[in-house]
Amino acid sequence: MIKKIIAVLLLAPALAFAAGSDVPLDRAPINPNDMPSLQRGAALFVNYCLNCHSANYMRYNRLTDLGLNEKEILDNFVARFSGGKVGDLMKITMDLEDAKTWFGAAPPDLTVIARSRSSHAGSGADWLYTYMRGFYRDGSRPTGWNNVAFPNVGMPHVLWGLQGEQELKPAQRRAEGYMATVEKPVLTKPGKLSPLEYDRAVADLVNYLVYMAEPAAQSRKTIGMLVLAFLTGLIFLVYAMKKSYWKDVH
Amino acid sequence: MAEQETDKGRRCMLVAASTVAGGIAVGVTAVPFVASMLPSERAKAAGAPVEADIGKLAPGERMTVEWRGKPVWIVRRTPEMLDSIKQSVDKVADPDSNKAMQPRYAANEFRSIKPEYLVLVGICTHLGCSPVDRFAAQAEAFAADWKGGFYCPCHGSLFDLAGRVFKNRPAPDNLIVPPHTFLSDTKILIGVDQGAEGAKGAA
Amino acid sequence: MTMAATKKEPVVIEGAGALNTPLSGLLTWVDQRFPLMSLWKDHLAEYYAPKNFNFWYYFGLLAMLILVLQIVTGIFLVMHYKPSAAEAFASVEYIMRDVPGGWLIRYMHSTGASAFFVVIYLHMFRGLMYGSYRAPRELVWIFGMIIYLCLMAEAFFGYLLPWGQMSYWGAQVIINLFDALPIIGPDLSTWIRGDFVVGDATLNRFFAFHVIAIPLALLALVGAHIMALHEVGSNNPDGVEIKENKNAAGKPVDGIPFHPYYTVKDSLGVVVFAFLFCMVMFFAPEMGGYFLEYNNFIPADPLKTPPHIAPVWYFTPYYSILRAVTEDFMFWLALGVAAYATLIVFTSRGCLSKILAVLIAPVVIFLMKGVGFGMTFTLFRGTFLEITLPLEAKVWGVILMGLATLIFFLLPWLDKSPVKSIRYKGVLSRWALTIFVAVFLILGYYGTQPVTDLGTLISQIGTLLYFAFFLLMPWYTQMEQTRPVPSRVTM
Repeated sequence: MIKKIIAVLLLAPALAFAAGSDVPLDRAPINPNDMPSLQRGAALFVNYCLNCHSANYMRYNRLTDLGLNEKEILDNFVARFSGGKVGDLMKITMDLEDAKTWFGAAPPDLTVIARSRSSHAGSGADWLYTYMRGFYRDGSRPTGWNNVAFPNVGMPHVLWGLQGEQELKPAQRRAEGYMATVEKPVLTKPGKLSPLEYDRAVADLVNYLVYMAEPAAQSRKTIGMLVLAFLTGLIFLVYAMKKSYWKDVH
Repeated sequence: MAEQETDKGRRCMLVAASTVAGGIAVGVTAVPFVASMLPSERAKAAGAPVEADIGKLAPGERMTVEWRGKPVWIVRRTPEMLDSIKQSVDKVADPDSNKAMQPRYAANEFRSIKPEYLVLVGICTHLGCSPVDRFAAQAEAFAADWKGGFYCPCHGSLFDLAGRVFKNRPAPDNLIVPPHTFLSDTKILIGVDQGAEGAKGAA
Repeated sequence: MTMAATKKEPVVIEGAGALNTPLSGLLTWVDQRFPLMSLWKDHLAEYYAPKNFNFWYYFGLLAMLILVLQIVTGIFLVMHYKPSAAEAFASVEYIMRDVPGGWLIRYMHSTGASAFFVVIYLHMFRGLMYGSYRAPRELVWIFGMIIYLCLMAEAFFGYLLPWGQMSYWGAQVIINLFDALPIIGPDLSTWIRGDFVVGDATLNRFFAFHVIAIPLALLALVGAHIMALHEVGSNNPDGVEIKENKNAAGKPVDGIPFHPYYTVKDSLGVVVFAFLFCMVMFFAPEMGGYFLEYNNFIPADPLKTPPHIAPVWYFTPYYSILRAVTEDFMFWLALGVAAYATLIVFTSRGCLSKILAVLIAPVVIFLMKGVGFGMTFTLFRGTFLEITLPLEAKVWGVILMGLATLIFFLLPWLDKSPVKSIRYKGVLSRWALTIFVAVFLILGYYGTQPVTDLGTLISQIGTLLYFAFFLLMPWYTQMEQTRPVPSRVTM
């Protein structure tokens, strides 16, 4: 057993390379306070992702955080599934075993994907933003799609209709001050959205995924500011108290 | 000496202020801990309002739906049943529904929004057993002149067909009427007050 | 016959205004039945602490504060957490989302775990610096070290509970360390898991240890640690014994009552600490993947190891030592043992230690595979005692990792300096401590990184220096020129 573990440890750098985490990540232009963006992202998520991926820990009615009311949530999000309630979790009906046969791996739950995809290369948001814009045509793959951020990915390009098709072409890229020739995906067949609009749509989706990974994140920061302000005052007060007692000690 | 005296006063003030501030800090810190013991979002979702279809409920029959894990009875009362309620006025403990065991809109003669439909939480107000139906007006072991109602087998409490408890029985209160509203003539939503905002949205 | 309560002086309270009489009465009533006032006096009002405590003396109290925080937050987390492989991950997300205030309680607990080790390491460093382990405080140090070991066990058990990928594979790797132990290894690791892989049974027993067994032990040990400390009195940055210099009233001239002086001072420490703690908890609860590892947001998958696994940061110095022991390293390790034995033989005054060095060193070297002896023996073949000698590098890795934590226990007897505090020790001790701290940090850093040749080499050098700090201490603390210790503490 130890041998296996040591083998895994030795293989670690190689595996990390294979997972493609060395691809430079684009910064995701997201803003957690942009409610319209979050709402558009939620709609994209429910319409495109929630067919194969679940979000098993997220409740629909939590979307009230994004400025939606329960009626809107019910009509626009829950009503896609018959008999759903507004307090339901975002579950899917697809059988994970079937999914494994179709895609080679069961589509992971996406509730906390933005947190798990963080690495020292960048935030989970950056990875997702690069990933969702990094699909290109690859005839050698069973789905016909490959990805620059996730080589040999099992998932086909679900937003293909929006983005269009990309192909890998040699291109110049600035890297640490010099120009390097790399393979870069280039749009060959436009989709419904212009490249700029598509980037915006992906940013909305990523914005939502980041929100969903930690819905309490914004209130965490707000409460944090209040707590720190209170503690700052308390530090001065307690410092004055300490000073007044320690006058005795020489 | 004078300096020491002022110091004593200053210390006292600083200690008092720090203690109060520290006490506030501890009190505020306790909030999430206390709050964490309240029903969670999951419990709330499970306790969401429940819709009941009363279209197929025949006069004189009862149906049961589950709301927040409790049985909720819907009884479609016949004119005779309603009549029995009028007759039991002097036998029940709280004939006018003065105690808040029902929403205000059900604090009436028949303890219901529409006299025909009685909606009750089927849990005895004594110690939580679920009473059984004794709708027929006939002599029963527990009451010779029984006009119909509910009988709790655990400790023998009796309720009339409006869920009002009979005098001199272990149960102290009438059966609870849960918040409910009519979505249409054949649909009742249980868990939402009549006229409340959620009555339109939740379904 | 009347049962008389213990006759004690009535308790007098000053400054409580109108409440004076009823409060005094109540306290007198209690005190006659329970040693309330003597506890208060012995541990607070009349516990004389040196007046020259500096920054480094906040961390004992802070460690106690975090222990309370972890216990309280832990109790509330247990109300919602499900210790089952099928539900554990989901129940943590349930706490983070569905339980009112649950996210805050969980972050307090996860940040508290790391904060505990930050504080404990600083607390231990204080002890190393000022010689707080020296006589008569050996037991204070030993209780403290047992607390540290319990804390590591507590953290290790607790880390499995979220049932993420790092939880799972971290536990898998650490439990498999026991595989390496001769004779009992494989059976022992299976026994620890209760299964052939880390599974539901493992999670349940880790939960039991994490929430009941170890916290109980920790509380008892903290009690013992403080009782031992208050028996002998606190050390201080000068290493001067304040009890040796008392005034006419029998009070140490360099001591001040713990209450109110250190209660107000520690209050300041607590508030400043709370500020820093809240900064992390509210604004960076993941702390860049060090406090909450990113891979732990993926549910445990027994079929897929994450590309890079590393223990949580507080274990990484020891993890580096484990990884440093490769086959190539065995020669250097043997050389180190031989050199150490030679040093003892030629410089030690005691006859016994010379004999032990001559006897033990060859045996240890013989047990190292790949050094000197090419043959392999299997003893007790076919019995439960079967053991193959010499031992492989991986076994030595585990042994060295264990020794690295246990060697702290020997400090009171390794330090032979005539002075306690680093302030009056010589230049060798100063350098030794500086290098030790640097080595500890460097080992910690490489423990978080994937294996590289350079990292392994640095870890190997670090491992030798780590042990040299302890094992050479009897020599360098005696060789160096110390400075005179003042008779009174310095402010």
